[in-house]
Amino acid sequence: MTPRLLLLLPTTTYRATAFVEAARQLGVELTVASERPSTMQATNPAGLVTLDFREPSRAAETVREFAKQNPITGVVGVDDDTAIVAAAIAERLHLKGNPIHAADAARDKHRQRELLAGSGVPVPHFELHMVAEDPERVARAVRYPCVLKPLRLSASRGVIRADNAKGFVAAHARLKAIVGEPDAGYLVEEFIPGYEVALEGLVVNRRLHVLAIFDKPDPLDGPFFEETIYVTPSMVPAALQKSIVECTERAVRALGITEGPIHAELRYNERGPWLIELAARPIGGRCSAVLRFGDTGISLEEIILRNALGMPIPSLEREPGAAGVMMIPIPGAGRLREVRGVAEAKAMPLVEDVQITAHPGEQLVPFPEGSRYPGFIFARGAQPGVVEAALRQAHARLQFVLDPV
Amino acid sequence: MSQVETRITAEPIDNQRCKFVVSVPVFAGGVRRFSGAADAKGSPLAEAIFATPGLGATELIVSGNIVTVVKQNATPWQALGKAVGSAIRTALAADVPAVTPATRPATVDSPAVNDDALYEQVAKVFDEQVNPMVARHGGKVELIDVQDAVVMLRMGGGCQGCGMADVTLRQGIEGMLAQFVPAVRGIVDITDHTSGSNPYFQASKK
Repeated sequence: MTPRLLLLLPTTTYRATAFVEAARQLGVELTVASERPSTMQATNPAGLVTLDFREPSRAAETVREFAKQNPITGVVGVDDDTAIVAAAIAERLHLKGNPIHAADAARDKHRQRELLAGSGVPVPHFELHMVAEDPERVARAVRYPCVLKPLRLSASRGVIRADNAKGFVAAHARLKAIVGEPDAGYLVEEFIPGYEVALEGLVVNRRLHVLAIFDKPDPLDGPFFEETIYVTPSMVPAALQKSIVECTERAVRALGITEGPIHAELRYNERGPWLIELAARPIGGRCSAVLRFGDTGISLEEIILRNALGMPIPSLEREPGAAGVMMIPIPGAGRLREVRGVAEAKAMPLVEDVQITAHPGEQLVPFPEGSRYPGFIFARGAQPGVVEAALRQAHARLQFVLDPV
Repeated sequence: MSQVETRITAEPIDNQRCKFVVSVPVFAGGVRRFSGAADAKGSPLAEAIFATPGLGATELIVSGNIVTVVKQNATPWQALGKAVGSAIRTALAADVPAVTPATRPATVDSPAVNDDALYEQVAKVFDEQVNPMVARHGGKVELIDVQDAVVMLRMGGGCQGCGMADVTLRQGIEGMLAQFVPAVRGIVDITDHTSGSNPYFQASKK
């Protein structure tokens, strides 16, 4: 019988095409579940379903009923929220997947900090506060510099550094508006100075396989934390890379992650590596396009699907050479009229692609209120340094024309 | 036509298919599908693409300002895109039309594959079933042509640039055609999704 994959795709994901095409490559039966119904759901009830991603347990029960008619071999979530739903479904249907508590801990920044700190994984000092608390009182008690961080937003949305009490109160006001829920919590954590890297991995039967370590050459010192360039392989000394991997392995164990992709962000300084975030999902946006594995260049998505379905994985070895992606910084606030210089940017040596994902007329919102990058630049070359330079040169060719909102 | 005026954006669909969106019209005569190098004779753009070293193109669809290339080898599009772009630019810069209209007769190659009949059947499915459904999200799907039992379509409205367009295509439209017009061998989406100005679902999450 042909295996059936249940793919949990939020309607706001960048990843639909990559995952759907990876499933097609594998020749498996595909069921796509989203939180809002497809207009064509009635025509393909085995291939399109609607699940309430806010209620993992209810979603798992819906899938259990569905699976009576359409047996499911594997389930994959593609982002933070659907990773929890996937865990709930995997548990209910006895499929390969993470325990719910592990996926939930990876999603909830406070719970994650508690578990990591409790296991001795180096994490910033942190405090949980409620948005409704008096910010001036909190501001008097915290140590500076600190970082205010919503518990459940992603892509560094709402993450703001404060260097003093006045800055804290101002940052709190912005965070409160972004979160929009007075009874929500947020973290106040120690700002860790240092160089930041990202580790992309796949956990197979509790064992972490490192797929790539990315350098983030642009300093992420705040006040907002908009990511830009990722380049792999990392130029961090080998011994330090080893300690970064060991730190991530400890974090995976501490959270109880047993299967599937992870994306970890770490900083290191003279005191060693610090685990900043670990998510039970793959790298975000369209960044996965820079990763290719084995002789045939299989995609990260195919590896993830193969693992979930129990299919053999030809290779977890990244291709030789360097590769990088730039999440194009949000150029300002306004309505996008056009992007100039795309052809020139694409013509730069080593640049493989420039993808503008913002559409004409779209309102661009800078960090920390916004988090949607207007596009991505991809480059590949022999060395990380030349790839980074190519990304910067290509970006310099782009001109975003915005109209006032 | 000046080469420097021509901007080309590559949009890989998967490792086999890539859409090249050109800033100037490539073929205004509807849609033209090339099933191989022999089929490309007389169309310099198609000849150049099929002759591109290392590309291994097996199929080419040209419509308006969109060139969709299908290949079978494993080399990623990132490594091939510039060569395809160069072939397109060179063909457009020449003094002869880059793509000529198909000369094949309207009759079919075999009784089993009658493109005209398939067109009618697919159009009926689109009119009566697909479009009323996607219209609920402000979308529309236009049947461009059927060539060698391959359906070429273009998405518009809320479907153009929608983050879930590929799901609609592969999990919805493809299944409907498999059910109602089983002779259809494949679907090619020739939409320029980057130009969609009002996508129903917009990607925004990390």
